Amino acid sequence: MRVLAEGTSEYLAVDPDGYRAYVRDHKQRALVPKLMSEHEAVARFVADGEYLVYDCNYFQRGPSSLIREVIRQGKRDLWLCGKFTYVDIGLLVGGGCVSRVDCGFFWPGATIDNAVREGRVRVFEYSNIVMTLRLQAGAMGLPFLPVRSFGGTDGFAHSGAKLVEDPYTGKPITIVPALNPDVALIHVQQADRYGNARVFGTGIAHQESALASKKVILSAEEIVETEEIRRDPGRTSIPYYAVDAVVHAPFGAWPGNCAGYYGSDTPAVIETFAAIAADRVAPYIEKYVTPFADDRAMLRQVVGDERLAKLRAAETISEGYRA
Amino acid sequence: MSIDLGLKPGVGTAATSFNEREMQICTVARMVENGKTYWVAGGGGPMYAVLLAIKLYAPGAQYITEDGVIAPEPMLPFEPVMTMVSSRAGYRALAWGTMNSAGNHAQLGLMDYGILNTLQVDRYGNINSTAIGAYGERARRFGGPGGADSIAALCWRTVLMTDQEKRKFVERVDFISSPGFLDGSAGARERAGLPPDTGPWRVVTPWAMYDYTGDRLLRLIARAPWVTVEQILAACEFPPVVADDVGVLSGPTEEELQILRAELDPRGQNTAERSAWVVYDGETYTRAEG
Repeated sequence: MRVLAEGTSEYLAVDPDGYRAYVRDHKQRALVPKLMSEHEAVARFVADGEYLVYDCNYFQRGPSSLIREVIRQGKRDLWLCGKFTYVDIGLLVGGGCVSRVDCGFFWPGATIDNAVREGRVRVFEYSNIVMTLRLQAGAMGLPFLPVRSFGGTDGFAHSGAKLVEDPYTGKPITIVPALNPDVALIHVQQADRYGNARVFGTGIAHQESALASKKVILSAEEIVETEEIRRDPGRTSIPYYAVDAVVHAPFGAWPGNCAGYYGSDTPAVIETFAAIAADRVAPYIEKYVTPFADDRAMLRQVVGDERLAKLRAAETISEGYRA
Repeated sequence: MSIDLGLKPGVGTAATSFNEREMQICTVARMVENGKTYWVAGGGGPMYAVLLAIKLYAPGAQYITEDGVIAPEPMLPFEPVMTMVSSRAGYRALAWGTMNSAGNHAQLGLMDYGILNTLQVDRYGNINSTAIGAYGERARRFGGPGGADSIAALCWRTVLMTDQEKRKFVERVDFISSPGFLDGSAGARERAGLPPDTGPWRVVTPWAMYDYTGDRLLRLIARAPWVTVEQILAACEFPPVVADDVGVLSGPTEEELQILRAELDPRGQNTAERSAWVVYDGETYTRAEG
């Protein structure tokens, strides 16, 4: 294929054969129980310097408790997949965990502005759907995918994309590099102990992220019996063999909305936005993360059972979210 | 000979007091057509405009969001930022998908219109949502295109909502996050791999409506009744083409405002943001400066 133009930014090395070999050697095909604490999951499966994808975000069925655990354990030098994200990037940057970001969308503010200006964090430019397509390519075992958007933008020039001559039509087409992250954090409504998981409602790229990533940590509102999974296999969104760890995390998406389970905690949502905007992430972390052994202790002591019960009661819609 | 703006007449009686943001949303709502699909950016003006239209003007219009929701009947109002991947936003949809399903459907040509809010837009409809200033460590960083890049690239027609201010309505954006007509030359989008026959179609500000000439030049086609063409041109960094007969937009109606304020945005998250007030005494619209 003739390359007509190409972006100049660094991107995670594309290696589908290497990923296949990793899958062969590390993904468990046996049904093995994977239930563990969030501490153990993050300690075992998230390492400094790795590429991390989380699905959805801190406010919308995201792995918020796992993100807090990554900050709690002081992970460093992470490269983040910043698609469809509000405050997650800002929290992790403010927590000192990040050195690189692939940008689809994140909520800007002083925390990120300062980090970029001081050279602590580098940002590479994509868009939300370009990032989910990169994950799709990674989840298909391919080196790249063509996409009909992104060409002609300045983001393209600051990315790993290329414009090539399509060998079939002869027309120009943009191709984007496959993404196989080191680790994925995904919050789901239900999972069994082996990692068979059900996502209810819409999503961003939970299936693509799970299949494309070397290591996958699920947090789940409910742990269900495998018999329940077998009763309705069409609802299994993520199969067990993609998954490395399952964390039982009721209210794991707090302060966000977990569709069918609880509404968003609006004052806490606004508080998080404000922390990013004013570069006040450190006090936020001191309030919600560092004093606690785990997220459950934080939820009990800072948020409180009464408030959590109200959030649960506020979620009046159940259509589509219960088996 | 005046240009047909393609706007539905406002339902109800002319409102006597409103802000310019509300004017902008009502103008876009009156553009919405039955039987068409709208890929709307999550939240803010674009989503309110389509929801208002479905209630008053085009009950058969359908909208899609970036998380793959197709044609919802959402439970209003939305909590702050809960316009996607939330139970209320996806309520009574015809289908739930994912970001890639939404993107694929747009890539197939299923999205008639995209509606976008923009931070900074230029004369060719290119949108900047990445950085103000020379790109790099010195620039002021913004959040990136999100889904706007795909909306702008893949919908058949794109409607851009932006403020009528010199620093936001510029000759050339600092960074093209989402594509308009790129450098404005014929075939520029196709040469960049974008699908043919797509691109910016209308630009709507609180003061004005623009379309594009056959050679992709921004053209002023209508103004709000309380501003002159000269005032609008003074709030552009570059001189747009001016239609021979610039139309006059109608102000919002009380019925539109009732829906907008009481049902869609009761917290005033979007419509109450900093924007000038306008009063109407039955004959004249007067803009309250400052």
